[in-house]
Order: sequence, then C-alpha cells, then structure tokens
Amino acid sequence: MPARRVTLLLALGILVLLIIASVYPLLKTVAAPALQDTPAATAPVTPTPEPAPAATQPPTGNLSIADEVCLGCHGQPGQNMTLQNGDILELYVPAEMHQGSIHGQLGYACVQCHTTVGEYPHPSFSATDRRNVTEQLNEVCTRCHRQQNDFAKDSAHEAARARGVREAALCVDCHTAHEVRQLHDPRTGQLLEDVKTWIPERCALCHNAIYQKYQGSVHGSALSEGNPDVPTCIDCHGVHNIADPRTNSFRLKSPEVCAKCHTNPVLMSKYGLSTAVLDTYVSDFHGQTVALFEKQSPDAQVNKPVCYDCHGVHDISRVDDPHTGLEMQQNLLARCEVCHPDATTNFSAAWMSHYIPSPQNYALVYYVNLFYKFFIPITLGGMTLLVVMDASRMLINRARQRRKTARQATQTAPGAEPVIDMRIPALADTAATGTPVTPQPAEVEASVVSPPVNTEQPESTGIEEKAETQSNAPDQPASEPPDGANSSDSEVEHG
Amino acid sequence: MDNLISVADHPATTKPVATQSYERFDIFERIEHIIFLASFSILGLTGLVQKFSASPFSLFVMQTLGGIEGTRRIHHIAAFLMMWVTVYHIIAVLYRVFVLRVQWTMMPLLDDFTHLFQDIAYYLGFRKHKAYYGRYNYAEKVEYLAVVWGTIIMGITGFMMWNPITTAKYLPGEAIPAAKAAHGGEAILAVLAIIIWHMYHVHLKRFNKSMFTGKITHEEMEEEHPAELKVIETDAGWQRPAPQVIRRRQRTFIPVAAVMALVLSWGVIQFVTVEPSTALTTIPKGETVAVFVPITPTPRPTTTPKPTAEVVAGASSNSWDGNYSALFSNRCGTCHGRTAVSGLNLSTYQDALKGGSRGPAIVPGNPDASLLVQVQSAGSHPGQLTIDELNQVIEWILGGAPEK
Repeated sequence: MPARRVTLLLALGILVLLIIASVYPLLKTVAAPALQDTPAATAPVTPTPEPAPAATQPPTGNLSIADEVCLGCHGQPGQNMTLQNGDILELYVPAEMHQGSIHGQLGYACVQCHTTVGEYPHPSFSATDRRNVTEQLNEVCTRCHRQQNDFAKDSAHEAARARGVREAALCVDCHTAHEVRQLHDPRTGQLLEDVKTWIPERCALCHNAIYQKYQGSVHGSALSEGNPDVPTCIDCHGVHNIADPRTNSFRLKSPEVCAKCHTNPVLMSKYGLSTAVLDTYVSDFHGQTVALFEKQSPDAQVNKPVCYDCHGVHDISRVDDPHTGLEMQQNLLARCEVCHPDATTNFSAAWMSHYIPSPQNYALVYYVNLFYKFFIPITLGGMTLLVVMDASRMLINRARQRRKTARQATQTAPGAEPVIDMRIPALADTAATGTPVTPQPAEVEASVVSPPVNTEQPESTGIEEKAETQSNAPDQPASEPPDGANSSDSEVEHG
Repeated sequence: MDNLISVADHPATTKPVATQSYERFDIFERIEHIIFLASFSILGLTGLVQKFSASPFSLFVMQTLGGIEGTRRIHHIAAFLMMWVTVYHIIAVLYRVFVLRVQWTMMPLLDDFTHLFQDIAYYLGFRKHKAYYGRYNYAEKVEYLAVVWGTIIMGITGFMMWNPITTAKYLPGEAIPAAKAAHGGEAILAVLAIIIWHMYHVHLKRFNKSMFTGKITHEEMEEEHPAELKVIETDAGWQRPAPQVIRRRQRTFIPVAAVMALVLSWGVIQFVTVEPSTALTTIPKGETVAVFVPITPTPRPTTTPKPTAEVVAGASSNSWDGNYSALFSNRCGTCHGRTAVSGLNLSTYQDALKGGSRGPAIVPGNPDASLLVQVQSAGSHPGQLTIDELNQVIEWILGGAPEK
C-alpha cells in the first residue's frame, strides 16, 4: 500500500515538472517582446535595442529579377522623376550604395522591397511630394521588421504623425533607405562601436538643438572622444517605442533611467562615481515622494525634482564643473531656487548631495543616527527585560498557586480529581464559595494596609529578606507550605 | 502614554470601605488622554509608513489615505491637534501647581530607583512583594517623561522639516536632515515603547480602565498604589484648598495663563503657517530648447555629369555620331537601350531608324512621321528631352538625320 502511494506521488511530481517545463518557455516567449525594445530592461553598458532582425513575413514579388536589371537603369546617374509639387525625386541608386548596406551584404534584392516595380514598364506611381514618397514606401520595411514597426507605432513620433506632423520620423529617416547599417554585433547582440556615435547624428537630423546641447554635456563630450560607456539618445529614450519625454509618467520614471547606469558598480567604478545616488535620492524627501508617486499614481503631476531637474536634461555637466557643477554649493543653491525662490545660503546643505552620512560628510546626521542606534535598543531592551521579568514572575506564581490548590483538593477530598483553576486565585476562591467579592478583600486589606508605613525605611536600608519578614508579618507564612491557601492568595495577588 | 502631571486631588475620603472606588483621573484628563491617544496613533501610523515607505503595508496604508501627499496632510493635521493638547496640558499643569498646589507626584525621585531595585529583587525571588508604589510608579513616570521628551523632540524636529527655509535662515542646512533622522528615531522609540511598555502594564497585565472611567477600585489601589492609599486613608496627603484661597490664586493665575495661552497658540499657528509655500507647485521645466530643429537637409548630390559622348573623329556636330548618339544614350538609354522597352533600342543608328514595335522612331527628312518626335512633342515622357534638345533633333531629322 505505501509503495503504491509512493509511485503515485512520484508520477504526480513528474507530471507537475513536465507541465512547468512545457509552460516555462511559453512564458519566456510571451515576456520576450516587451524586453526587446525597452531600454530599461537591457544591459546598461551598451543596450541592445533589437538583437536580430526577424523576418516575420517572406518577401513577395518577382524574385527572378536580378539587381543588375534594376541597376541597368537605376544604377546610372541622372534618373529623376518630377513629383506633383515640382519636387525632384532622384531614382538613382549607386550599385555600391545598396551593396554596402546590410541588406545588400545579406543578398537582398531590390525587388524584395520594391515588390510592385519588378515588371517593366513600371506601374504608374505618383506622389504629392518627396515626403509622400517616404510615407508610401514606409510599409515596405514592415514586411520583415514587423516587431520594430509595432514598437514604433507606440512612439512619440507616431503620435506626432497622428497629429498631422509629417516630419515625424519614419523608418528610413533614421535607418536610410538604401544604406541601412548593421547596428549590432550578431554574436554578442551589442551595439557596434561606431554605431554609438552614429545614433545621435541620426537623431540630430531633426533634433539638432538638443544634439548641440548633448554634445556639450558630460556624456556627449565623452562620446565624441570615443568613450563607448556613455549613453546616447536611445539609452534614455528607447529605440523604436520612443516615449514622449514630456509626460508625467516619463518624468516619474526618469530616475530609473539614470539609475540603469549610475547604480552599476562595474561601470561607475571606472569613473570613481558613487552607486548610491539612487538610494540616497529615494531616501530623501524629494526622491521618496517621486518613488511613491511612480508606484501609486504614475501619471500624476509631481512638483518634486527628479535627477534631471538638478543635473540638467541634455546638458548634464560634471558635478565639479566650476560653472554648473552641483558640487559647488552656490551652483546647487541656484538649482534649489528654481523651486524654492525663498531659499537662503544655508538651505542648499539641507540636501545631502547624495552623501551617506558619515563622520566626514554630514556628521550631525551621522551622530543623530548613531545616537538612536544605541538609544532605541537600550531603552526598549530595558523595558522588555522588566516586562519579561514581571510576566515570568506572575506566571511562576500562578503555576505554584495552581499546584498548591490542586494538592489541597486531593488532601480534602482524596477520591476527587484535582481541580485546576485557571482563574486569578482571589476570584477563584470567591467563585468557589459563592460569596461576593466584598468579604474577601477585607482580609487581604489587613495584610496590605500595614506595609506602606515601612516602604521607605526598613526596605531600603536593611537586608531585603530580613526587612520583609519583619514588616509583612501577616503575609510571611504565605511562603511556607504548611499554611493555608488564604495567605498565599494574597501573595500572588501582589505579583 | 498620557499620564498627566499628577493630581492627587481625589476628594479626601472619609473612611476606607472595601467597596470604595477613588477618582483617579478627572473628566478633563480623560478627554485630554483620548485626544492625545488619537493624535499619537494617527501620527505614529502616518509617520512610520512614510519612514518605511517601501514596504507593501506602507504602500497599502498610503494608498488608502490618498497617496503620500494625503498621508502627509493627515500627519500634519494630527500634529496640529497634538500641539494644541500640549498647550492645554502645559496650562493645566501650571494650574495644578500654582492654584491647587498639588503634590508633584509625577516627579521622579530616588524612591523610584529603590522601587525598581525592589521589583527586580522580587522578580528574581529575593522578595515576597513588589515595591509599594505611590500615586505614580516608576513605570508611569518613565512613560510620562518619555512623552515630555518625545513631544519636545518631535515638535522641534517636526518644525524644522515642516519649515525648512525658515530653519535654514538660523541653522545650518545640515540640521534639517538631522532633524529628519531624529524625528524618525524618536518615532520608532515612542511607538515601540507604547507597544511594549504601555500595552503590557495597562492592557495585558490587567486591563486598566481607569483612564476611561476615571475610577480606580479600592482593591486596585491596594494592589498598585498601596502607598498612595495609605496616604489617603490617613489623611496625610494633599487637601484641596479652601474655595476662597483658590479664587484668590485664580485672580493672578488666570491673566497670566491667558497671556501664556495666547503666546503658545500664536506659536502653534506660527508653526503651521510661518512658511506657507516652501516650494513652487509648478513643475520646473526640464528641457528648454526647441524639440524639432531639423538640420537643413544636405542638397542631394548633384547628378553626376554625363559622360562626354565620345565624338567620332571627323563627325559633324549635327550628326548621330557627333551628338545624338550620346544624347539618346543619356536621356533614353535606361529604357531604350539594353532593355529596349517597346522594342525600341536607341543605342545604334540602325536600330534607331528601325524603330520599335510601333514603327520607325526616326524617319530622315520627315520629323512629323518620326515617332520619337511625336512622343517627345506630347511631353511627359519618362525620359523627356528639353525644348532645345527636341528642336535640335527636329533640325537633324529635317536635315536627313545624317549618321556622320
């Protein structure tokens, strides 16, 4: 019988394991797409926006047409088309341009993107202007890069497009049409080194003022010196699903964006930077508020500063920069005054500048904390000790009393079972005799009234036990076993 | 926690009767205790959830109370309430001290230490009895002193956090985070002391209702305050002064107390209003530059110059070899070259004369019959010649379209 049960249990266990094993990869694949494009989830050093382009849908069209056929015409300069508004659309694609792109390298043919123009003569094509050509052809990318396109659909660019901003970026605005670059090392999934500098340049095509600021920042200037550790646009803004950074939710989430790198000990140790910046921020009034809002109402407007309110947005400077560095109290104060117009010189030191209090930095805070570190356990420890002693004494006395009454019960009625009375002895007695409370205390009182007279003198002076025996004559016998239950009652009562 | 400075002002009892109960706390003290208890509990809850804001319990509480801002508001209201109770308490104590002239039974004395040692001896089994306490035992005195100490610390540090700009005018900025540290440490101490000390002595050990009923029985007196009972029974204690004495003292006390009450009230009001706006409510603007500033697009690379047509030596400029072979190759060659769209191939003179599927492209001497001229004259052909070029072609055809 037990053997059968064991096998049954084993079988059940294996079944459960199998179910978990089969569901697990499913869960992983479900979770994967979300991770892929969200920079927050990627490695902090060099985020991988998309590990590898996935061919989601096989290209259609007449694949028998070789690139040479197309290039026979389009490989020659001077191929132009006049659009409806007079814009000239150049139809010249130098052979080496396409061949140098990642698509050309992988052997993709013209007609795999330009599926409608494989036959000759080409079907008629008309566009209102050059932008309209891009708009019409954008869907071409989706055939293979659906996932990226889906992400882009959630972007601020797409939202702007929906509002009628035609300049809002489409695939080719960043990636180019015929010069699409390889962005990742296929083996590591990491961005290629030279792509790092290329990315801000692409964004700069539309966001040049921001790019100019970025180039002057601690991050941007390091990038131009060839430092691959610093963040580029996409590290903070994401890749395809670039969120509008002007929303409340972006603002509340932004400390985590900075923390991605600034809490990474490997990366920060290279530059001697603290990784405690997030913790110290969140344990302060501002950061705590922001962190709570981020958790509880991420869309709310909060007037407490986030990292970039003090450190700058695209023009983040070194903290030891003499003009803007927050290490200088006067620079910091200027930042405080943005929100606290009445702030005076001392005020800026109320912010602990990401320091963990120590005897060197913010010593006062350190010593206050140190004081309570000892004061709390000593005070509470003393209290607890007294409480435990008091309670133990009370329980010991009660247990003794119970044993005594039980013993007496067996003595008075030998045949009867010992009655264990859990109640307070005084009450138990009255209940047993059925008499009201009144008569009992009269007796007890007699024993209690006398002592106060002696409280001060004999007990504090002489040997405790001796004083006790003298002063508390009526109670004295209580401790002696042969005496009656009455007196022992009162002893317990005092406990 | 709110054990008030003592008032041994029970009505002096005549004769000890077993059933007798004594008034331990008058109605004002009881109300004061309830208000203090309420504000303390609210402050403790709303404060500690802020201190430990990352815990799920804190998040739940804060969510219930309207988020962190709501929690802070409730904390401030409760603090305001506690400050008023404190003001009231100060004046009430002064009344007892100067008008009723009660004994200072809450004052810690050497006896309290003696009692403590006696109790420890009792716990360890060296004594048969606990110490004989007076009106307030050391446990109660410790609690009262803790409240006094705690209220002072919490009041000062609370002010500093509530009004940081005002504080920084007089103190170094560092004092504000230090105040926060002390406020938090003191809060933990106070709340845990209540849970360990107060709960045990007043609720667990025996549920002592006297703070709510105001009464204490004779039995309880014997048990917990035997020394006080003795004093009461022997009439050795404090006696209420005669009404006329009280009235005389009140004449000086009331104006002084009124002034004090005003000053303290002003202090409380100042506490909450001295800094009406610590920070702007508007959100600082993050990025100040324009978002969309496109780089002026680089002009498209100028079309690579057409290769100079190789002029056959000796050929006239107005001939196929001299001009038109190159022109057609550049303008039309894409389609009408190797791929010979519509059968028309303009790469050689012979093919050009032959024409495409629709007929000869060039009929020497007759431009009107030449399909090339017809198509080009209609315009909008993919490889459109300019007017000048077309006129030249017409000239050339009229001249018999010479090859050389």
